[in-house]
Amino acid sequence: MGMVAKSTLMKWHYITGLILVVVVGIHLAFRWPSYEASIEWAGPHGVYEQLMNTGYMAAIFILLYAATYHAMNGLRTLLLELHQGRYWNVAVDVVIIIVGVFIVIVGTVALVGALSVI
Amino acid sequence: MTEKLSTKRNPPKWSLWFKGLDEWLLIFQKVSGALLALYLIGHTLIISTALNFGHPTPLTWEKIIGLIEGPQIIGNVHVGTIIEYLVALLVAVHGANGVRLILMQYFGWGLPKPERRTYPMVPSPKKRSQMAYKYLVIIVVVIFIVLASYVAFIG
Amino acid sequence: MSSAKADIKIEIKRRVFTFRVKRYDPKTNGYKWSEYKVEVTNRQTVLDALLKIKATQDATLAVRYSCRMGTCGSCAMVINGTPRLACETKPFELGTDVITVEPLSNLKPIKDLVTDMDDFFEKHKSVDPWLIRKDEKEQFEKLDTYYPQTEEQLLNYLEFSYCIKCGACYAACPMVFLNKNYLGPQALAAAYRWSADNRDEGYVLRLKVIDSDNGVWSCHYSGTCSKVCPKGVDPALAINLLKKSLLTGKPPAR
Ligand code: SF4
Ligand code: FES
Repeated sequence: MGMVAKSTLMKWHYITGLILVVVVGIHLAFRWPSYEASIEWAGPHGVYEQLMNTGYMAAIFILLYAATYHAMNGLRTLLLELHQGRYWNVAVDVVIIIVGVFIVIVGTVALVGALSVI
Repeated sequence: MTEKLSTKRNPPKWSLWFKGLDEWLLIFQKVSGALLALYLIGHTLIISTALNFGHPTPLTWEKIIGLIEGPQIIGNVHVGTIIEYLVALLVAVHGANGVRLILMQYFGWGLPKPERRTYPMVPSPKKRSQMAYKYLVIIVVVIFIVLASYVAFIG
Repeated sequence: MSSAKADIKIEIKRRVFTFRVKRYDPKTNGYKWSEYKVEVTNRQTVLDALLKIKATQDATLAVRYSCRMGTCGSCAMVINGTPRLACETKPFELGTDVITVEPLSNLKPIKDLVTDMDDFFEKHKSVDPWLIRKDEKEQFEKLDTYYPQTEEQLLNYLEFSYCIKCGACYAACPMVFLNKNYLGPQALAAAYRWSADNRDEGYVLRLKVIDSDNGVWSCHYSGTCSKVCPKGVDPALAINLLKKSLLTGKPPAR
């Protein structure tokens, strides 16, 4: 990723980090009061209820994108700390971008589809 | 010189790092970051499958989640519950310590100003504001553990 | 004067310490431990003890030193698990009877306690640790006044200028261990020291090194470097001030 200054990548790492504190907080708060109940499809606090909650779903979309950037940039940093080399550096960038784009697409398709059906 | 110079560096002193809170936070931040990144990939794929990639039915959801949850241990608690509980703890430490680093490095909160050094010298990580940050991280994590334990095992 | 002098009683204590020295052997490319028993006084240092061993017990023991007073930075080694200057550490103050002495971590060994500082100095050089002016000739040809500096401006960088390049911080840094290309605390502290100097105009030139995959971003402020630095340089603070500069786009205060 030679084109982008490392400080730009890291600035977004920090910004997404702050965003994540909020949206992961929301994501975890929706497990209240019982984790098991929150992953049932029906019932109070269940998944259906969560999908119907616009605010919560907005947070989940932000979570998907922010977490993917934060995780992929973090993974890239770590992989470049463990090893460096001409081919390795390029391979890391390529793999990170492919995995990141893949997650974003799969997640977006699933979430958008789920919202439009419900 | 007849001997060839070694190409390997002298090994580190692990004991130097294992005795300080600061070093533990660093190790934890790196390791939990790597684990959480891998978890994110798995979690997104599994939940997307459970949502049937945009055509959700209660049936697919219950099937996939049931598979992931694994066998029951006691009461409501499954193997999956324990795993998610541990992941949540990683999130808590990574997040709490991450906020500390962001506030300090981005906004400069609690970062001391350079000054004239006098003996005895106190390195900045040992200064009051820095220690307060680190104890705050621990307090936040402990509160989180209490809440998470309730949600996972009691509620 | 003479009466005051008579009042000062210098108490000399003596004790036999065991020194366990980790030695690198370039012939076998391996390490071995040697043990020596040597008597030292409470006013002698680990370096004194090692030199005494070398003089009276084992002439093959290799140690590097020069000033013997904490100024040159030649004698840093890992003593009882912590990197420090052998010439500033007294066996009596360590509190153990057996004292382990090892060569600095994160650096390549040459022989016994002597390490190869080349990588370390290369990194130091890579941040251009000298005064850079936009007009290169000015300081040699047309300087009619000195570059003025106030007390306040001096304090911006003073604490980072005490570095003696001993490498203790570099040996202690967990991130240098993880990434052997990471510039490390010393080089980055030097980058800050010059960039925060109001006479210097080279901050932008140093950016391409400090704002890279091997630059400031690896630091997690564990501060191990600052805790072991014998000169109180606090490299961790310098690195995080640099990060703040890079993130906010404001060059170091000067
Ligand atoms: S910053 Fe301190 S520990 Fe590091 S090389 Fe300089 S004097 Fe030695
Ligand atoms: S011999 Fe010069 S610093 Fe120790």
